[in-house]
Amino acid sequence: METKMPMVLDVISENIIKHGSPLALKGSEVASWAKELNLPVKGDLLFYTGGEYQMLPFIDSLVKTITHLDQGSKVFSMMMGARNILNKTGISPEKMYASVLAKDKDRYNSVCFKAAKVLKELGYEFCYSGSEELYSGALLYELGYLKDMKDYAKRVVEVIKKSGAKTIVCLSPHAAEVFKFVYPKLIEGFDFEICTYIDLVWERRDKLAKISSPESVVIHDSCRLARELNIHQELRDILESVGAEVKEAQMNREWTSCCGGPIKILFPELSHVIGGRRVNELKDSGSSHILTSCPYCLSALEGGRAKGDSAVIEDLIEFLYRGVKA
Amino acid sequence: MTDFRKDFVKYAKSLNEASEDKNIRTAISRAVSSYRNTVSETLERFPHTPALAEEVQEIKTRSMATLDTLLEQAMASVERNKGKAFYAKDHQAALEIALGIIGKGKTVVKGKSMLGEELHLREYLEENGNEVWETDLGEFILQLRKERPMHILSPSIHVPREQVAEVFTKFFKKEVPPDIAEEVKVVREFLREKYFTSDVGISGANVVAADTGAMVIIENEGNVRLATGAPPVHIVMVGVEKLVPTFQDAMKVAEVTWRYAQYGVPGYVNIVSGPSKTGDIEKVTTYGAHGPKEFYVIFVDNGRKEMAREEKFTQALHCLRCGGCMYECPVFQVTAGHFGHTYMGGIGTVWTAFVSGGMEKAAPLVYSCLRCGRCVERCPMSINVPAMIGELRERIVYGTYED
Repeated sequence: METKMPMVLDVISENIIKHGSPLALKGSEVASWAKELNLPVKGDLLFYTGGEYQMLPFIDSLVKTITHLDQGSKVFSMMMGARNILNKTGISPEKMYASVLAKDKDRYNSVCFKAAKVLKELGYEFCYSGSEELYSGALLYELGYLKDMKDYAKRVVEVIKKSGAKTIVCLSPHAAEVFKFVYPKLIEGFDFEICTYIDLVWERRDKLAKISSPESVVIHDSCRLARELNIHQELRDILESVGAEVKEAQMNREWTSCCGGPIKILFPELSHVIGGRRVNELKDSGSSHILTSCPYCLSALEGGRAKGDSAVIEDLIEFLYRGVKA
Repeated sequence: MTDFRKDFVKYAKSLNEASEDKNIRTAISRAVSSYRNTVSETLERFPHTPALAEEVQEIKTRSMATLDTLLEQAMASVERNKGKAFYAKDHQAALEIALGIIGKGKTVVKGKSMLGEELHLREYLEENGNEVWETDLGEFILQLRKERPMHILSPSIHVPREQVAEVFTKFFKKEVPPDIAEEVKVVREFLREKYFTSDVGISGANVVAADTGAMVIIENEGNVRLATGAPPVHIVMVGVEKLVPTFQDAMKVAEVTWRYAQYGVPGYVNIVSGPSKTGDIEKVTTYGAHGPKEFYVIFVDNGRKEMAREEKFTQALHCLRCGGCMYECPVFQVTAGHFGHTYMGGIGTVWTAFVSGGMEKAAPLVYSCLRCGRCVERCPMSINVPAMIGELRERIVYGTYED
């Protein structure tokens, strides 16, 4: 039997399959952060962004479109259709998402740059697939497009193999999760060592420079990191190493509350409500400086924060980069 | 071709409305913190509970693997106890068997039962000319408000005392103040008369021991005790997934259930295995001494056996209906039972797909689950709901499910 899913799911899954990015961002756009770093394309350790931080401002723009249009309506279907045939019509995602603010684009693009700089500082040597890098397909897995994922994963693995790397370090816990638990079931001989960015920083945390932060910070544990990958103490250890005072939310570590991000594209309003509640839970810790370690948590908490709320919401990468600049 | 687009839009609207409802927000916040406090306190008081829960997981796994045998055994046990046992393959069969026993023009008192909700039992019996009263206070309130439950254990969780007073004042045709004790009192008086004049009492069961035919029913209010003890006929309607091999097993399941269901120690645990009887006069066994003379058990399948056969979903039948997962669910916390059809939350979504509503009702729910996994942390049976949601999504996307 054929089923007709909400348009936004068709758009995202087809974009991944056709363009290697949930929002059909161009490879050159996704890799623009790395221009000045001249990272090699081959090496033992592959730095993997999956384009996830880079697409965050565009997700918000897509969500705004969804929020203001009835997903079942013709207008919506025409708009989303236009996104999909972008090859034929020459409509660029940049034009479609014209409302994206330059400062947001710069901020999220620079997360990858900052992550790379921190790792360099800790003495890691790594390579990067640049504009050839493909999104992991985590959303195909997440949204139920597993058959498509099987074919797609082969293409991702081809690109990864070109690097000659043995280990992949993932910035996003979602990428780490699918590489670790899903790829081995889909691809025979997928034997890369998978680690998260947090793992690498944690191993050399003694080398981190102290960060002078007058205020305390509170950690928002990402569900994937805390529950699937069992990484939560590591975040605290890292923050202790840089001399930050860590406050704890009541629901933390393996009991962490979800940021609402996973349902953002289908149920944007509800996702914001959930994100807002989580921001408040985190602030109840006594700190208004929230650190997370997942692109979607970052975006969802930002989206859920009430207007006028002065809480700082950052990725751990952005926080650690303060030590690099100092 | 099944087009889900409109369903999703409609569902999103209902979730948004629910998330703006201040009653839901306040009630659930209160309920969540009270749940977490009670459970952590009682787990401290009874530290053997997590180990016992693991044992219960094994009992459940064994039971679901031998469901047919257990069912046969349990039906034989009920008959041996001079009760009558029935097997209902589906929803319609279950209703017809119940109606066959009850007939028309009767008064029925009913205990709280999710299976009853699944079958729309009260509505069906009413349509067929019977007077039916919900005796659980929460369900009684909803019966008067013509609403569906918003939580499996606290069905009227979203209704504050002021609104209860309003609906009671109208129904009882006298001023009922927004005072909880007064509200409880008027219902007590009203139902007390019903228990002793009704023809039939209907209950569910939390666990059924196949070896003895014992139905274990956990409660706090005492309504089940009265509803199953006072009328001349007692009908138990229970899902086949509640079967376990032995009486000892049943006690373990019951203890784990009430501990995680925030009972701490429940006010009452009813164990009913057959009709009321006496042999006090000349050792001649006579039925219907003080309790019911007739005892019926309807074992309802309605998709459960199919679920038990599916490797990826059989674990969902281990659900004890303690409701703990719902309190931990970020979506449920702001939308209550709106994230559900009859059964609620993530596990309820799986149940919707197989038992109550089918995949088409389940599809929007399936996509509103965050797959955040906190329900698994809470679940005493460690049911991997996120994995099941993933599997359901795949079936929906590719249309590989049966209508």
